[in-house]
Amino acid sequence: MNVSSKERPSTQTRVLSYAGALLETMDAALADHPNTFIMGQGVDDFKGIFGSTTGLAQKYGADRVFDVPLMEEGMTGVAIGAALVGDYPITTHIRADFSFLAMNQIVNLASKYSYMFGGIMSCPMLIRLVVGRSWGQGAQHSQSPQATFAHYPGLTVVMPSTSQAILDMYPQIIARHPGPVVSIEHRLLYNLDFSASAETPSKPIPLTSYVAREGRDVTVVATSVMVLEALRAAQYVAEKAGIEVEVIDLNSISHPDWELVIGSIRKTGRLVIADTSWLEYGVAGEVCRQVMLRDPSMLRQAPAMLGMAAAPCPTAKSLEDIYYPSQHETVEAILAQVRGSGHGIDLPVERSMTEGYKRFRGPF
Amino acid sequence: MDSDERYRRLFRTALTIRLVEERIIELYPSDRIQSPVHLSIGQEAVAVGVCDALNPDDLVFATYRSHGFYIAKGGSLDKMFAELYGRIGGVSKGKAGSMHLSAPEVVLMGSSAVVASSIPHAVGAALSFKRRGSSRVAVAVFGDGATEEGVYHESLNFAALMKVPVLFLCEDNGLAVHSFKNARQSYNLLEHAATFGIESRRVDEGWDMLAIRQATLDALSVVRAGRPFVLEIATGRYKEHVGVGDDFHFGYRSAAEIDTWKARDPLLLDGKLVAELKPEIDREIAAAADFAENSPFPGRDELLTDII
Repeated sequence: MNVSSKERPSTQTRVLSYAGALLETMDAALADHPNTFIMGQGVDDFKGIFGSTTGLAQKYGADRVFDVPLMEEGMTGVAIGAALVGDYPITTHIRADFSFLAMNQIVNLASKYSYMFGGIMSCPMLIRLVVGRSWGQGAQHSQSPQATFAHYPGLTVVMPSTSQAILDMYPQIIARHPGPVVSIEHRLLYNLDFSASAETPSKPIPLTSYVAREGRDVTVVATSVMVLEALRAAQYVAEKAGIEVEVIDLNSISHPDWELVIGSIRKTGRLVIADTSWLEYGVAGEVCRQVMLRDPSMLRQAPAMLGMAAAPCPTAKSLEDIYYPSQHETVEAILAQVRGSGHGIDLPVERSMTEGYKRFRGPF
Repeated sequence: MDSDERYRRLFRTALTIRLVEERIIELYPSDRIQSPVHLSIGQEAVAVGVCDALNPDDLVFATYRSHGFYIAKGGSLDKMFAELYGRIGGVSKGKAGSMHLSAPEVVLMGSSAVVASSIPHAVGAALSFKRRGSSRVAVAVFGDGATEEGVYHESLNFAALMKVPVLFLCEDNGLAVHSFKNARQSYNLLEHAATFGIESRRVDEGWDMLAIRQATLDALSVVRAGRPFVLEIATGRYKEHVGVGDDFHFGYRSAAEIDTWKARDPLLLDGKLVAELKPEIDREIAAAADFAENSPFPGRDELLTDII
């Protein structure tokens, strides 16, 4: 699957997988910044965090890219200590769920280091989390904690949905972001090929939200892999019903471009929120809060929301298939917003994982 | 250096800590300090002996009970009092208070109020020193209760594996809030360290600044050679866990336990030296309190600054 989601003025493009973009930015970070090091369980093994660190230990040495014991809290504390004396640590968690073992260091320490000490100290660092989905990931390999981390002032949380988002964000996070950043990557995206710029941006690109597809009829605010699902749904309803969907990739979860989001909702008057996590107390609620704060009348009707069912993730495929919003449900939500529930338009038959993700079969 | 001169220097620092905290006790009912305080009274010798053995650029990560380490490492009294008073002239503009004291100019790094949470920070700083080929070391200061936390064990394992120059310094006052060590620990700290291949030592004479200084120097010779070390120093917490009072009347511990420490406490025994040094230290403390009093409170513009 080749998804071209981000409009760029660049003339030169290339095909680059998500994992390839990660590897490229990790490699560049080590090459450009001698104070950068990468640590995490398995970063130096033959799988290299699903191909995102493969070969880097050999290239840069074991003091720059190294495995750690099973010590999520300790590792994150070690990263903070190193950051305080001028290093730039990158830590990895092969499942986001494991970062909960490091919550004390992330929430009680890293997020507060600048403020609690009145701005005289800081711990810039990048914490990479990988969200699992499909092939029976179950309750503890599937959680997507963007709302959890974005809740805490002091943390910057991003969710790159494309190779381009990684190329745009990671180099500048590593080079100049003053505080800790939690990046929530999605395992389903790793093996996908994207169209990406072949050129290095000439100036820093802010960590922000962007329009992934322009449209006039309904706004879909999406995160991570749901951006791709929204784009596929947008293409479907454009072809079937001539409906023009505007898809906004929230991208920077802790610091979105609310003016962009609100401007789009004002324009379309209709809103669908498509998130990779639970709806309760999450991104969906925050988007609605921003609307309510400004002018609830910008919405012509109640918004629709797509996310995980309000349960821990089941392992059985029959349940997992209905646990996540399907393409069928995404299209249905968009059509219902624009044409009402009696829209009479055929829905895609795909109710399970999409064709494009079928390469993802495990083992992991 | 003349050993009398050294003793006098250490004594003066220890007395400064004691007098600063006694001033805090006097001030506390005035509500000038509106935050919890965890006093180091009785434990001064540990901070003084350890910090005197360190090089000025050696890093210290301490705890919420860190007035002693702040002063022993050379932090400014003016900035300390202003911080306790919640004033803009404080170390951290009043955003830190007593529990998060730091003094980056003398590399006393941020103190954490979550037990054990800064232990891995010292390991991380030490890892960085090693990667750069620096001769600096990092010190993790913690109480005996902190060794029960998982991250202590993670930190020891990692430090031993990576052979980083970190000194694990346990201030063993035998108490976690009101709980005694025998109700909390199934292990002996030194034997536990040995299972990681980490050398260690216990100093029982926690009132003896020179002995602590020498034990720290000995430990640092191991650490500077690239091997972590666990140094456990017995000490006595004279005051309640948090606050400025005594707590013997609650009945959970007896004054007699602390009397044995007081009977060896040089700050209580050497009245002549106290009398000689006290006036000058009192003037410094009075000046620091004045500085704090005259420093403005942080205004609304500070509420949303320094977040990232």
